[in-house]
Amino acid sequence: MDLASVSADLAALRQRALAAVADADDLKELEAAETAFVGRKQGALTAVLRGIGALPAEDRPRVGAIANEVREAVEEAIAERRARLAAIALEVRLAAERVDVTLPGRPLRRGSLHPLVETTREIARIFGQFGFVVYESPEVETDSLNFQALNIPADHPARDLWDTLYVDAPTNDGDRLLLRTHTSPGQMRVMRQTRPPIRALLPGRCFRHEAVDASHGFEFFQVEGLMVDEGTTMAHLRGLLDEFAHALFGAGRPTRFRPGYYPFTEPSVAFDIQCVVCDGGGCPACGRSGWMTILGAGMVHPVVLRNGGIDPEVYQGFAFGMGIDRIAMLRYGINDIRYFLENDARFLEQF
Amino acid sequence: MRVPLSWLREYVDVDLSPEALAERLTLLGMEVKGIERRGDDWRDVVVGELLAVEPHPNADRLSLTRVRVDGGGGVLSIVCGATNIAPGQRVPVALPGAMLPGERRIERTTKMGVVSEGMLCSGDELRLTTDAEGILILPAGTPLGARLADVYGDVVLDVDVKPNRGDALSLLGLAREVAAATGAMVRWPAIDVAESGDEAASHLVVEVEDPALCPRFVGRWMDGVAIGPSPLDVQLRLMAAGMRPISNVVDASNYVMLELGKPIHTFDAAAVAGGRLIVRHARAGERLETLDHVVRELTTDTLLIADRTGPLAIAGVMGGAASEVGEGTTAIVIESAIFDPVSIRRTGQRYGLRSEASLRFEKGQEHRLARLGADRTAQLIAAWAGGRVARGVVDTDPVEPPPRRVPFRPSRVGRLLGVDVTADEQQALLARVGIATEGAVAGDLVPIARSSDLMALDAVSAAAALVAIVPGHRRDIAIETDLIEEVARVRGYETIPGERPASSMPGYRPDPRRGLDDLRELLAGRGLDEVVTHALIGPEDHGRLGLAADDPATIRVANPVSLEHSQLRRSLLPGLLRVLIENEHQRRHDVALFEVGSIHRFRDGAPVESLVLGILLAGDWVPGAWDQAARGAEMADVVGLLAWLVDRAGAGRLVAETTASLPTVEHPGRTALLRLVSSGAEVGRAGELDPRLLAAVDARASRAAFATVDVAALLGAVPAVRRLVPLARVPAVERDLAVVVGDDVPAGAVEAVIRDAAGPMLRDVRLFDRYRGAPLGAEESSLAYRLRLQAGRTLTDAEIEAIVAGVVTALGERLGARLRS
Repeated sequence: MDLASVSADLAALRQRALAAVADADDLKELEAAETAFVGRKQGALTAVLRGIGALPAEDRPRVGAIANEVREAVEEAIAERRARLAAIALEVRLAAERVDVTLPGRPLRRGSLHPLVETTREIARIFGQFGFVVYESPEVETDSLNFQALNIPADHPARDLWDTLYVDAPTNDGDRLLLRTHTSPGQMRVMRQTRPPIRALLPGRCFRHEAVDASHGFEFFQVEGLMVDEGTTMAHLRGLLDEFAHALFGAGRPTRFRPGYYPFTEPSVAFDIQCVVCDGGGCPACGRSGWMTILGAGMVHPVVLRNGGIDPEVYQGFAFGMGIDRIAMLRYGINDIRYFLENDARFLEQF
Repeated sequence: MRVPLSWLREYVDVDLSPEALAERLTLLGMEVKGIERRGDDWRDVVVGELLAVEPHPNADRLSLTRVRVDGGGGVLSIVCGATNIAPGQRVPVALPGAMLPGERRIERTTKMGVVSEGMLCSGDELRLTTDAEGILILPAGTPLGARLADVYGDVVLDVDVKPNRGDALSLLGLAREVAAATGAMVRWPAIDVAESGDEAASHLVVEVEDPALCPRFVGRWMDGVAIGPSPLDVQLRLMAAGMRPISNVVDASNYVMLELGKPIHTFDAAAVAGGRLIVRHARAGERLETLDHVVRELTTDTLLIADRTGPLAIAGVMGGAASEVGEGTTAIVIESAIFDPVSIRRTGQRYGLRSEASLRFEKGQEHRLARLGADRTAQLIAAWAGGRVARGVVDTDPVEPPPRRVPFRPSRVGRLLGVDVTADEQQALLARVGIATEGAVAGDLVPIARSSDLMALDAVSAAAALVAIVPGHRRDIAIETDLIEEVARVRGYETIPGERPASSMPGYRPDPRRGLDDLRELLAGRGLDEVVTHALIGPEDHGRLGLAADDPATIRVANPVSLEHSQLRRSLLPGLLRVLIENEHQRRHDVALFEVGSIHRFRDGAPVESLVLGILLAGDWVPGAWDQAARGAEMADVVGLLAWLVDRAGAGRLVAETTASLPTVEHPGRTALLRLVSSGAEVGRAGELDPRLLAAVDARASRAAFATVDVAALLGAVPAVRRLVPLARVPAVERDLAVVVGDDVPAGAVEAVIRDAAGPMLRDVRLFDRYRGAPLGAEESSLAYRLRLQAGRTLTDAEIEAIVAGVVTALGERLGARLRS
């Protein structure tokens, strides 16, 4: 063993190693070449270096320098080859992963919120801006709260306005249980549990003995509003209802305030908006009048205030009640009230 | 109330178009619901004169007529089947090409070999009268050749008279409203009875046993009456107003009811034994055959008009058949009475008889109308049916009560309406509806909430107060606020400006629907469709849930619209199932539904309402796609959904526990009780439905996952304020643990032991694998859990191993579980 032969071996090794690196077609082959030539334990270069102990001491640095140069050259080649192989692999992967980008995405269930409930929320949001807060009251009511406390005594002709569903149960001190015919008994509950100033909203399901058709059901939904304070006036009622109508049906929509009749309000009001179908021109939807009634309202009758424990000489206020079904029908252009409780998927998925 | 304008104009001048009048009435509170034009459906129908009526050459039952249809020489040959025609009569003629009601077209035709150039019309064919037998014979003066619509056409307003305004259920009442709106004067008809012969009192005695129920009874006696049809114009008016002409006497009473608002009854005097009418309660066991030929068993609180032999009529509601005025009647008794409104209403409801008369009695009657009605009826019968009106009347209460005086404070008008109206203007406005006013004096009593709720005026307030003198017909005006409404109504609500309220605000109150709305949003976001179903369901629906039809806790409706909707739901499941099958009928088989709604039951005799969330998943839960198989909904889907929902809502962890299933409703092996860990409360049930329930409702789906959740219990476990758990700076450590347990050990128990034994450093535990099969025993499964451990510092290996070892030991000791090797 002499310097010349070792140098020759290293040169040969270098050539073979570079050739093997260049020939490596994938990472596995490259790593095999790396182990075979520059591996710390079994690599060929290590084997050569192990042999330099046999050389004269003055030759050893020279061989060491050559060996390092070979190692660096081979490792550099490996690094380059590795980068190249990674780039090729990435290209291959990307090419393989090419898809038809116009394929539809994986479907998720759509989900929907019911228009009646959402309309209720929208109404509550609008009145919420004016300080009205939501209260709840029961679906099974007493005759006394549903009627008598609201100035509708037994055998009063105004009872014809509500075809009542009664509960089959013994009366309690002459007070019959019934399914509330309107949300108005909630007024009484609010007045009895809180003091003015009152700004309350009472949404809920109501029941009447009605034949079902495109605009009537025996179950329907209402929102009741109540505002009581020392100086609450009918002008305030009108102002608030105008705000509401404009919020829900557009700022430019004309409104109309005209006399109505409810035993629990006086003066009583019917509140109309210009027909949303014909914009006032007259069409079947508005009975050719150009107007649609969207709610009933009025100043709370003094006897109702008294029954609520509020002195009508000091306080006054207004109440209003509207059919959520009707508002939702006008808002969404729904022409049959029965859709709401049928829950046809084709209906639901439009909301 | 149907108001023919031609009739209304007898009592008030109307210069407005029907549309303008309708709007004015509507803005006055007399809402016009519709405007009908009678005669609009006649085209080319004219007034003709019969020149000749001859037998048809080829048909015994037909006539051949010659009819002149204009002032000139136009003469038509028309074949006619009626027998009441004669030359010289004026008749309605439908010309060839004419159109009659019901889109009926009249053409020139050949009848039995003879050409007919049009048709002579009956009243029925024109929808003018109910007579379909004969041709409508027009009065002789009807202008020849005129369009029939120009002569007999009319405009009828359909006015929605509110229950408090019984006084407006008449043409005169509505004429008063028109006058209030336009300033025109009301013209009363001239009520003028020509009496002769002996006294009514010599034929008729009236005895009222209970004057509280019959405050006034005015009777008149007539004889020599000839029953027959009313004059044509009367029949036309009644028809236009929606009443069927019957005979001159009956029509007269109906005419007066429509004109004055006073229901009148006429008896055949021959049927009144001894000429003595008794107003009394029915006695036990009494029966009466009413005009509709139904024999009715009378209850003892029924007010009757009777004679000494028995009942003649149900007072104010319906007459009796035996005393009905008919063809042979010659003498009649006219009853013009006032009855107690409540008694009439109750009686009408009891017998299911609500007549035009009873509807008016129920709303109360003006005292003076009793006499006016009797006189007007006698006048009209004498004019239309001849006969003699006996002198005088029988009257049980001839003294007119004084008008009601209602003191009020004009200052309250502005206070309530929010718009200033001077006292002078208020007086002028009230005068337009016949309410006079005068100054109040100290001590006058202002009715506040009801007529008995009185506040005395002191000298100062009396100086600014007024007293309204209310005419007898305005029975609705009794308190101060009634007058405020009247001022607002006559002045026009449109004069009230809109203002935003500027008063004090109520205090904060949490929105009770807030938490609920969060749940709804979350579920819809997860792909469920919100539904709203009927609260009223049927006994069959409850029966399928194992609830008997007469279950005492079920709240039943006494007068349901139908059996299917006769009970308040005790579960949301029947409604959700109904939505499922309705959608299946539309071939929509994959449904994921939720509803938030009340369920009801009796508890200790009191109704209890609770808010429930119901979920139903059927068909595919994971939708299929071009590279993904669909997967049907199963119990684990709904349990996972609820655990996520409860966690997101802030109520912490939800666990499913084994429970006995409801037989034939819930799947016996796939139903769990849901419990909130934080509160320990049971919040509901989840699982799959028993396939037998699905089959019972004819669902196509054989598997459906469901859940029912008590919303109050769920939201009650959400803390008012969430507090942050500090975040550890070092990462958590995960350890996997697989244990083998017997089938008698539920996974829920394994997880509970792990959580208990692992102690406070356990942050989370998740079952990530479950394996059954070799080499495990047949009734064993391997459960693999990933435990996430965390402390405020780095845990040492020894600490971690100690925790895991503790868990393994506890699982072994408490559940017989062994570590899977």
